[in-house]
Amino acid sequence: MSTTTATSGRARRPKKPITLVGVDVYVITEDGIPKFDEYGPFKIEFISNRGTKVWPGYVSPDLMLVNWYRCRFNATRPVTDKDVDAFVGELGKKHQWSAVQKLWNYGDEAGFSKAY
Amino acid sequence: MAKHVITMLPGEGTGPEICEAVRAVIDHTGVDITWEYEDIGLDCLKEHGTLLPEKTIKSIAKNKIAIKGPTTTPIGTGHKSANVTLRKMFDLYANVRPAKLIPVLKRPWDKIDILSFRENTEDSYAAIEHMVSDEVAQCLKVITWPGSVRIAEFAFKWAKANGRKKIQCVHKANIMKMTDGLFLEAFREVAKKYPEMESGDIIVDNCSMQLVRNPGQFDCLVLPNLYGDILSDLCAGLVGGLGFAPGANIGDNCAIFEAVHGSAPKYAGMKKVNPSAVLLSGVMMLKWLGETKAAERIEKGVDKVLAEGKHLTYDAGGTASTDEYAQAIIRAMDTL
Repeated sequence: MSTTTATSGRARRPKKPITLVGVDVYVITEDGIPKFDEYGPFKIEFISNRGTKVWPGYVSPDLMLVNWYRCRFNATRPVTDKDVDAFVGELGKKHQWSAVQKLWNYGDEAGFSKAY
Repeated sequence: MAKHVITMLPGEGTGPEICEAVRAVIDHTGVDITWEYEDIGLDCLKEHGTLLPEKTIKSIAKNKIAIKGPTTTPIGTGHKSANVTLRKMFDLYANVRPAKLIPVLKRPWDKIDILSFRENTEDSYAAIEHMVSDEVAQCLKVITWPGSVRIAEFAFKWAKANGRKKIQCVHKANIMKMTDGLFLEAFREVAKKYPEMESGDIIVDNCSMQLVRNPGQFDCLVLPNLYGDILSDLCAGLVGGLGFAPGANIGDNCAIFEAVHGSAPKYAGMKKVNPSAVLLSGVMMLKWLGETKAAERIEKGVDKVLAEGKHLTYDAGGTASTDEYAQAIIRAMDTL
């Protein structure tokens, strides 16, 4: 007798090789745009607030900021989950964060958006 | 030095020919304007490697006012929208879209005069998207308290200043209790400061149905970004389509006025498209600048040309070119 699972009949997307290439960290602060140290193999690429890039580059002085920043860190070398764990541990000593999202490439395509 | 220095962004496709027609009409009012032409859009990408060059950004930042022709946003992949980039960069948080019945365009309703106030910088337009597994995509819907309060305050102020009576918050807070719930809570908080205005709320799906069945019941709508994007186009469709749909993107210190239709590249160079949407955006711009008489003169000119029906563009059932339509408006303005 064969067994089935609830998901056996679902549509499947063709698989692609998955590569961990960075992390988005959502930081909560009342002190304005956060500043970061170097964290091992992760380097800050941009910081956005409500989806608008606030670092680096031009920021309108009129831009309304809330106390929640999306901070994009790119890996500077091949990294593993262990590197992410260490990175988040270090970052958490200085910054309060609400969530961390790993960034993966699927084949040659980035599985994450850039900030406006 | 001219009284007003305005950044002109002709855009691409039919944008440049539309903007020339619009400029001719606005210049005919005699308002003292220096136009600073700057590049934006896909043509600009080919030439400068970016949809929005630094020079354009600087011009808008300096002048704090711009009028924009249509640009194309690539679908699915490719470059970010120049429109959304501008709105976010200059924090143009209020998208104001009037939809008023145009008598010459036969519609099945007696009255439509709806003002939509779309929050322009948050919601699912925060561009925070991830493939969280290889078969699951996620888009964050970002709604903030200060962002919701300021669009509600903007809407109430605008509505009151323009003699409006009723304002409704459009939401789906019965399902999205945190995000739309916050937007609705902020609206209700602001509404308390305007007891002279009739205020209420309506669920977005019911609002969509009611707009189609009985649009005359609506006055002013305040909406989060995505619902505002969709329903303001619906409202434009009710009154005659995007060819007549002006829009303004307004922040505390900068404003960009633009049509909401696309660049119609297949008609580029043919000078046949309707410039009304950009022209009426220009009318909104003149009012924003305090040039009310000039704005009203153009409005009356447009009304007269549409009522006469002799020089209509193809979308309104005529054969006039973009320039012929604009020249007819200019002649009509001279008779007022």
